[in-house]
Amino acid sequence: MNDDDHESMLDGLAGADLDGHTIDELSDYLDSGREPLDPGIEASPGCQLALDALLRLRTQTWALLKSEAATHSEQDRSWMHAVLQNISLEAHAGRDIPLRHPDPEVHLRITEGSVRTLIRGVGDSVGGVIVGRVRLDGDVTTLDAPITVAITASAAFGNNLERLSQLIRDRVVAELATHTELNVVAVDVTIIDIHTQRVARPEDS
Amino acid sequence: MKRSLEVLPDGILAERAADGDATAFEVLVFRHGSLMRAYAVRVLGNQSEAEDVVQDVLIQAWGQLDRLNDPNAVKSWLMRMVSNRAIDRIRRRREHSEIEDWNAPAPSHQSPERVVEVRMQMSALASVLDRLPAMQRECWMLKETGGLSYVEIAESLGVPTSTVRGQLARARQTVLREMEVWR
Repeated sequence: MNDDDHESMLDGLAGADLDGHTIDELSDYLDSGREPLDPGIEASPGCQLALDALLRLRTQTWALLKSEAATHSEQDRSWMHAVLQNISLEAHAGRDIPLRHPDPEVHLRITEGSVRTLIRGVGDSVGGVIVGRVRLDGDVTTLDAPITVAITASAAFGNNLERLSQLIRDRVVAELATHTELNVVAVDVTIIDIHTQRVARPEDS
Repeated sequence: MKRSLEVLPDGILAERAADGDATAFEVLVFRHGSLMRAYAVRVLGNQSEAEDVVQDVLIQAWGQLDRLNDPNAVKSWLMRMVSNRAIDRIRRRREHSEIEDWNAPAPSHQSPERVVEVRMQMSALASVLDRLPAMQRECWMLKETGGLSYVEIAESLGVPTSTVRGQLARARQTVLREMEVWR
């Protein structure tokens, strides 16, 4: 590709007078979000047409992909099922959390991953709540170290968020006391989303 | 559980998946897998390679979700990984072919069903893109839908930036002319 090719590019745009600009240049101008504003380009009817066409092409390429995705979505489902079965979805184990044992020679441990799964399950069991992320802040590998549990969650529309947060907190504290020896000093619950019962579609995101 | 997860936005699903919730990950895959596949097919011009790419991306995504800074951006993160994996494929292909082949017209690898389908969709754009030479089509898709810059495409394909610019200019010219979006 050389400069001659650049010039010959304009051949395809019969009749459009770009007032000395090239399509290539206009495409860059679009990429920069039309910043800084180029008065020459903005005042040229030919350039405006070309910018419009370039924008439409970009939108149409996306629209094409979406329509192709929608056309194949049914057959894709079975393909995706197969793919998901092929790949092993094992949770990260995370850190080892020690448990006390009367025999000093015996070292019992549970994984951080399993504790997070436990907390997620407890949170989900509170009606109207779906847990997002669970973090154990503090040195969980040392017995008795102070631990803060941080949970994000989505709440179903119409719930009292304060009450929900308190319910999650109470249940998590109780459950962790039953199954672990973590010294939980706080459970921070952050409601980051409100969801309705409508199923989200790809184009929503 | 799966049904109740389906109502959730991407962000919270990505957070759960990062914590090791396979079901949340599956919901994300079913939500965006078709678009990822359609994009890979368009970049690579080949169904089975596209499916391999998406499978690789899903394996990688599962392992790296906890490193995703903005869980709400999981869709563009996934699409970006499809771009990168597709580029790997393109590079590997190039190692086995001569530079002259890059500008060859697209081979007629399309099945008759696919050709009919494209016609039925009456999608002029689809057929123009199908007919672009491989490198033009790759650059076009990576730039226009993948959102990669000239420099990123050039660096990852291991070619000069001017080559990418040239390929895109040609693609643009063809598409603009054939689509008649001009008028």
